[in-house]
Amino acid sequence: MKKKVLLLAIACVLAFGAFALAGCGGTATTDKSDKASTGVQAIKDAGVLKVGVKVDVPGFGYKDPKTNEIDGFEIDLARAIAKNILGDETKIKLEPVTAKTRGPLLDNGQLDLVIATFTIKPERLEQWNFSTSYYTDQVGLLVKKSSGIKGLADLDGKTIGVAQGATTKDAIEQEIKDKGLNIKPKFSEFATYPEINAALESGRVDAFSVDKSILLGYVNAEKEILSEGFAPQEYGIAAKKGNDDLTKTVDDVLAQLKSSGEMDKLLQKWNLAK
Amino acid sequence: MGPFALTKWEATLSNYPIFLEGLGTTLIAAVAGLVLALMLGIIFGVLSTASSKITRGLSRVYVEFFQNTPLLIQVFLLFNALPLIAPKAVIPVVVVGILGVGFYHGAYISEVVRAGIQSIHRGQLEAALSQGFTYVQAMRHIIIPQAMRVVLPPLTNQAVSLIKNTSVLAVIAGGDLMYRGDSYAGNMGNYGPTYIIVGLLYFLLCYPLAFAAKKLEDKQEVS
Amino acid sequence: MFNWISPDIIALLTDPVVYQALLRGLGVTLEIAVITIGLSFVFGVLLGIFRFSKVPVFSQIATAYIEFIRNIPLLLLMLTCYFVAGLPSAAAAILGLSMYTSAIIAEVVRGGLNSIPTGQWEAARSQGFNYVQIMRHVVLPQAVVKMIPPIVSQFVTVIKDSSFAMAIGAFELMYEGTILAGQYWKATQIITIYVLIALTYFVINFLLSHLSRKLQTKLSAGRGTIGQ
Repeated sequence: MKKKVLLLAIACVLAFGAFALAGCGGTATTDKSDKASTGVQAIKDAGVLKVGVKVDVPGFGYKDPKTNEIDGFEIDLARAIAKNILGDETKIKLEPVTAKTRGPLLDNGQLDLVIATFTIKPERLEQWNFSTSYYTDQVGLLVKKSSGIKGLADLDGKTIGVAQGATTKDAIEQEIKDKGLNIKPKFSEFATYPEINAALESGRVDAFSVDKSILLGYVNAEKEILSEGFAPQEYGIAAKKGNDDLTKTVDDVLAQLKSSGEMDKLLQKWNLAK
Repeated sequence: MGPFALTKWEATLSNYPIFLEGLGTTLIAAVAGLVLALMLGIIFGVLSTASSKITRGLSRVYVEFFQNTPLLIQVFLLFNALPLIAPKAVIPVVVVGILGVGFYHGAYISEVVRAGIQSIHRGQLEAALSQGFTYVQAMRHIIIPQAMRVVLPPLTNQAVSLIKNTSVLAVIAGGDLMYRGDSYAGNMGNYGPTYIIVGLLYFLLCYPLAFAAKKLEDKQEVS
Repeated sequence: MFNWISPDIIALLTDPVVYQALLRGLGVTLEIAVITIGLSFVFGVLLGIFRFSKVPVFSQIATAYIEFIRNIPLLLLMLTCYFVAGLPSAAAAILGLSMYTSAIIAEVVRGGLNSIPTGQWEAARSQGFNYVQIMRHVVLPQAVVKMIPPIVSQFVTVIKDSSFAMAIGAFELMYEGTILAGQYWKATQIITIYVLIALTYFVINFLLSHLSRKLQTKLSAGRGTIGQ
């Protein structure tokens, strides 16, 4: 009897896995055959564009505690795309994502697009479709002025706070290698940017490293972004792998925004122009 | 490519040292956390049955605070506030996790211990005291050994919860199984196989204990 | 060391936005918790009766489900509901929490059913009652009384555990608080916000666990025990 129960429990674990496998594998295959050609049509049928955005990055995607509205540069981009596909820029459904959750949410069909400071990377191109770049940024380091840290070279043995699922860690390690620095920093990964900022403030980490534009939201009199920047980060709008007509539409919208000067206006509106 | 594609399983399994390292940290946090929780639980559990109003009050405050706020916020507070209160002492993240689960489950264990002590009829304590035992002696030789029987099954359940709750370390970059799994899944996109492996490992850690608790409980129901 | 009554802290404590955000989060937390308890009660009672039953298949399936759920972290359940089942964040949080909580409530139910002496079953059966009738008219009414206090205290646990929903982007108290903390720069301010979050949970849960204890003493009055 006891053995049976144990076996059943293990069977449960396996069934759980199988359910997961069937669920995801199933949608993945059907999507490949149908949705690949009807990605844009599917959005038109649904009448709403589902977009994954950040809610903790002032300027890009931020849920302002004052208004309780999610707003930012990337939300404006989402509106422009909705206007193109659906003819109405208000027909968007915003879903909060983090670096960790944005990939799975695209895969399981909960989102049509992710516009969430998502860097275009070769490994990522194997998993998802990316549009052309709409913003270029660099990885930077935010430190306390009192720490005396002036550059990456000062971070030997120190702890750098980075975001889960972000490419920052790889970028820093690559930079150390490229520059031939003989340093070994430690990394701590957190789910959200406010958590990394709290860890920097409390001294848990010595540097907060992420793309510079994101760091801008956390600068104050006692902290500074080091001038040193590395690993240019090209932000792209991601869609499910194989959803080529949607990505093409997104590219068209981006090109239109750039040529009409609308893109520059948006960048200025959100203080992101360089 | 689906999230459970064979290549993803291969890639995930070939990175097994990541999971083993995480498992090691989880085990350390669980064992140390359990020792701390037991110590706190016994101390505050005994205090809560003492005749002094002050010790009872103290124990109440401890239990109420830790039982009525989420472990997550306790750990956030410990993680960020400790360095401010003691800027010189760098307390490793794992220790923050151990303190977190230790104090949290200590509060629950203290309630278990209290219930265990109160399950013994008060006449026994009075009898022991009248025989010249001190309060501590009576507790140690008469009340606690009997209470252990009542206490063991819920205690084992607490140990299971404690093991699972060490996963709170994942939110403060504690390097435990959940954190390593999350980090790996996030970087490589192999979250499907990763979550199943992580789930299986937690299950293997917890099930033997849960099973023991169940057996102890059944035994009691019979008697 | 540092001055707690600094202008930074006063500015934070007098900003209505802080309280608006926390209350908004609390609303979502309570919403998640209430729906979870409702769903878990229904499924938990069914599961508990299944496990208690002498029908082998039912009791084994229920046992396997309960053992499986109780031995994996809640966070993992929520992540799976979110990513694999593809539910919106609040729904995934509710489903994950309910899967978990119904296993716990099932155990409470089983404990309650076990506490009814077998003599009552025999007596009822001899009066011609069948299984369902005995359950409904004799055993459940008594057992439910014993289940109420642990279920109320489980409510406290659900409120606390719903904080994990932050990991899947549900705007409950913990997440609202964290986003709020992102607006402030000083470590003391951030910690103050965490303390405010903790206090909010505490007030709600303290009231509930007080209620649970009151029920418990009311229901188990009259035993001579040590220390009380």
